[in-house]
Amino acid sequence: MTATRRKGFGPLILIAPAAVLLGVFLVLPYLNIVVMSFRMPGQGTPYGPGFTTGNYTKFFADSFYLLQVANTLWIGLITTALCLVVGFPVAWQLARGNMRFRALAYGLVLSPLLVGIVIRSYGWTILLGNNGLINRTLTGMGLIDRPLPLMYNALGIVIALVHVFLPFMILPIMAAIQGVDPSLESAARSLGASRFTAFRRIVLPLCTPGIQAGCILVFVLSLSAYVTPSLIGGLRVKTMAVTVVDALIDTFQWPWGSALALMLSVTGALCVVIFARLTRMKWKVART
Amino acid sequence: MKRPVLTLYCLLVYAFLLAPILVVVGASFNAGNFLTFPPQGLSLRWYVTFFHNDVFMRAIRTSLWVAAMATVISGTIGTMAALYYVQHAGRWKEAVRIAMLAPLLLPEVLTAIALLFFVYAVGIGTTTMIGMVAGHVLITLPFVFINVSASLESFDPSWDMAARSLGADRLTRFRRIMLPLIKPGVIGGALFAFIISFDTFTISFMLKGIGTSTLPIQLFDYLRTNFTPEAAAVSTVSIVLTLVVVIVSEKVLGLRIHRF
Repeated sequence: MTATRRKGFGPLILIAPAAVLLGVFLVLPYLNIVVMSFRMPGQGTPYGPGFTTGNYTKFFADSFYLLQVANTLWIGLITTALCLVVGFPVAWQLARGNMRFRALAYGLVLSPLLVGIVIRSYGWTILLGNNGLINRTLTGMGLIDRPLPLMYNALGIVIALVHVFLPFMILPIMAAIQGVDPSLESAARSLGASRFTAFRRIVLPLCTPGIQAGCILVFVLSLSAYVTPSLIGGLRVKTMAVTVVDALIDTFQWPWGSALALMLSVTGALCVVIFARLTRMKWKVART
Repeated sequence: MKRPVLTLYCLLVYAFLLAPILVVVGASFNAGNFLTFPPQGLSLRWYVTFFHNDVFMRAIRTSLWVAAMATVISGTIGTMAALYYVQHAGRWKEAVRIAMLAPLLLPEVLTAIALLFFVYAVGIGTTTMIGMVAGHVLITLPFVFINVSASLESFDPSWDMAARSLGADRLTRFRRIMLPLIKPGVIGGALFAFIISFDTFTISFMLKGIGTSTLPIQLFDYLRTNFTPEAAAVSTVSIVLTLVVVIVSEKVLGLRIHRF
């Protein structure tokens, strides 16, 4: 009797604290922010009495915000594509290359994750600034007369974002490639497939889940990135996340900020769904 | 080397990954008043300035305190949840996993804003650290969960049954069989929780109160208006702190960290 009771209730105690934590500090706040986005703007207070859909109509009526969302999505897309192009060969070498320094290389890929995002973005401002290392070196060598515009524009943001999120692309792809048996490739080669064909027809389809996971991760992370666009873009280029946070911190427009934040997240989620459809993704939260 | 082009390409990518970090460390030894290139001589003066800067020292203490709290709480809650997930969840297994990973899957900026409104809605606001610590626990929880459940995957229930048949009670079985098995996972998860919490920005930025800025926030504020190499010195100390934590745990505890 006691044994069955223990089986029934005892284990629930293990999950209870996590359930309470996620319920109180994740589910309730998310419900609250949805309600908040329908509240009236306040006069001198964060929000007023009553409810309205005005925050959303304001969003869709103003091309400024739609353009900014488009701009943010564009930056996210380019960042994701570049991460894939830059990261795939590295993931390949980490998974397949028989090199002596694999542990070191793996550590190099992981190391940026151990350094805070503020510090890494700061490093890029030192490199990309008008008086930064790159421009100084180039002018010093007499290659350019005026500094190249590397910072305070979308280019600088993309460069820094690729750096910040590259490990999130490399690691899932590496794991996926490791799961592909090299003998499959040899089999294809022995049947007369060229190296490229063997890669395209055998390896690429098999490691697609890793590529999909990496792309979604990088895309979602770049959409909600705040520090990097804020430090590198300055006041000139603003992404959506920067606008949202500034709307809340500087002007205290809670309902408006909530609507903006939710619209950004929903748009991002829609993009992920479209991407998943296009690449025929099998829905399964990346196995860890 | 068999494929020189691939090797060269990878070396370039590694250089790209390390460049901004090395540049920050290098800039911290610049003797000049501004971040000039080439540096105007080598000096530790910015470290001295930093160690005498109360604002930054208080931010480091806040960061360490919040990270310690978050690590202990999410280490405990996450380990318990991982035990439930692997051994008792049954048909709810997938649901538990998605719920535990949710803070990682949702955009951090939205979570941070939602939490900010919530702490005001329930009346605690940002005068206490409750909101900030709760936020840090939320975003570190998935990492503890991933690490502990990964270390439990190898657990064979027959070991537990064997101990039971030999007369070990529940507590003894937990202490002598389960605990040694999950220890690396718990410590690895806690380590990652600490580092994530120490470095995280958005959650702290939204939920900071007056005088409770963490180091990344303070650094960010400083960088918006100042261009002295002091920020580089602060960054370097922060990097070294993290490295020490990682190296010590690797050498002393022989850890393998599962980030994914």
